[in-house]
Amino acid sequence: MSSQSDAPPKGKRWGLSLDAWAVVAALVLAALVRAGILANVPW
Amino acid sequence: MADATVLPQTRPLSPAWQIFQLVPGVLLLAAIGYSGKVIEKSLATYAKAHHLTLPNIEYVLWAILIGLLISNTVGVPKVFRAGVSTYEFWLKAGIVLLGSRFILGDVLKLGGVSLGLVALELAVAISLMTFLGRIFRLRPKLTSLLAVGSAVCGVSAIIATEGAIDADEQDTSFAIAAILALGALSLFTFPLIGHALHLSDRAYGLWAGLAVDNTAEATAAGALYSDAAGKLAVLAKTTRNAMIGFVVLGYAWYWARRGQAQAVGNKTAFLWQKFPKFVLGFLLISGLATYQFFNKGQLTALANLSRWAFLLTFAGVGLRTNFGEMRKQGWGPFAVGAIGEIVIAIFTLGMVAIADRLLRL
Repeated sequence: MSSQSDAPPKGKRWGLSLDAWAVVAALVLAALVRAGILANVPW
Repeated sequence: MADATVLPQTRPLSPAWQIFQLVPGVLLLAAIGYSGKVIEKSLATYAKAHHLTLPNIEYVLWAILIGLLISNTVGVPKVFRAGVSTYEFWLKAGIVLLGSRFILGDVLKLGGVSLGLVALELAVAISLMTFLGRIFRLRPKLTSLLAVGSAVCGVSAIIATEGAIDADEQDTSFAIAAILALGALSLFTFPLIGHALHLSDRAYGLWAGLAVDNTAEATAAGALYSDAAGKLAVLAKTTRNAMIGFVVLGYAWYWARRGQAQAVGNKTAFLWQKFPKFVLGFLLISGLATYQFFNKGQLTALANLSRWAFLLTFAGVGLRTNFGEMRKQGWGPFAVGAIGEIVIAIFTLGMVAIADRLLRL
């Protein structure tokens, strides 16, 4: 394989695919921003 | 009674330990990405202080170059590999958060334009790669994998198709190597061509999203041109990704009819399983932003979180690209991929130019 990582991420860990976990993580972050807990994110 | 062979028992790793194993690699991604940002800023400050005119090289390119340098010299030590492979996770989370920078109306308008162009791109890419595969006498399933990889979404599409058509692991490795090598080349060639042709941000972004195969590389190729081009590249690429289920289903059906793959039972379940869920997340966040669920400050925070997620992704793109490993896979698949990609890039550039003139993107 061309990648140095052992295998490309195939998803399905702990019941959800990698895709779904990414969506969950993004929605949690969005909720934290909306609730004012993550009020200021510098760039 | 025959002696039973006792296999060593491997205890499944606990979730906490699995997460802990990711930490070094994620920290490496963050360190490389942040270094890219520091270098960009330092060069700009230096040029300003010394009244020099230096080309503005974005953090995206620095992060990729540092990653490439490490990967192709000392290599990525094993302790970092699990964490480095999370770059796909950060990419998808970043795309969902990027939805906050799109008004739903724009998504529907540009997504509609993209969808039309994607349909044409899919038809041309699949036909062309199938034709080239026959000319170069590649194994038929390797040709199918290359066609899917170049038509839809690179490595993810190849992996999704591998299981559906019962492809060899070797064919999968060849196809992935070719697509990754071409993706790495497109990172450097697309922005140069875009600038040479004076493409607008929108036209360039749409082109990168339609022609660059892997989502990570398409995102990076767009961001290398400009922030606005990066947004459009992600939108066009996301539209392309949404087609993955249909294309994989088509190939599964084709190979099953030839008795060389298992028939697909429940087609709806198959399509849902292959559908990239981050597309739905992107649309949800875009919808929430459109209906003012977030205030202005919160939208800025979400856009910045998306940038941080992409920062980790760009570092991962460099780290996972190893030219030595790619060379070992042989030139046949690479030649088919390269010829196909050049034709697809020219074709999609023509389509975007026409769409830009007719629809004023």
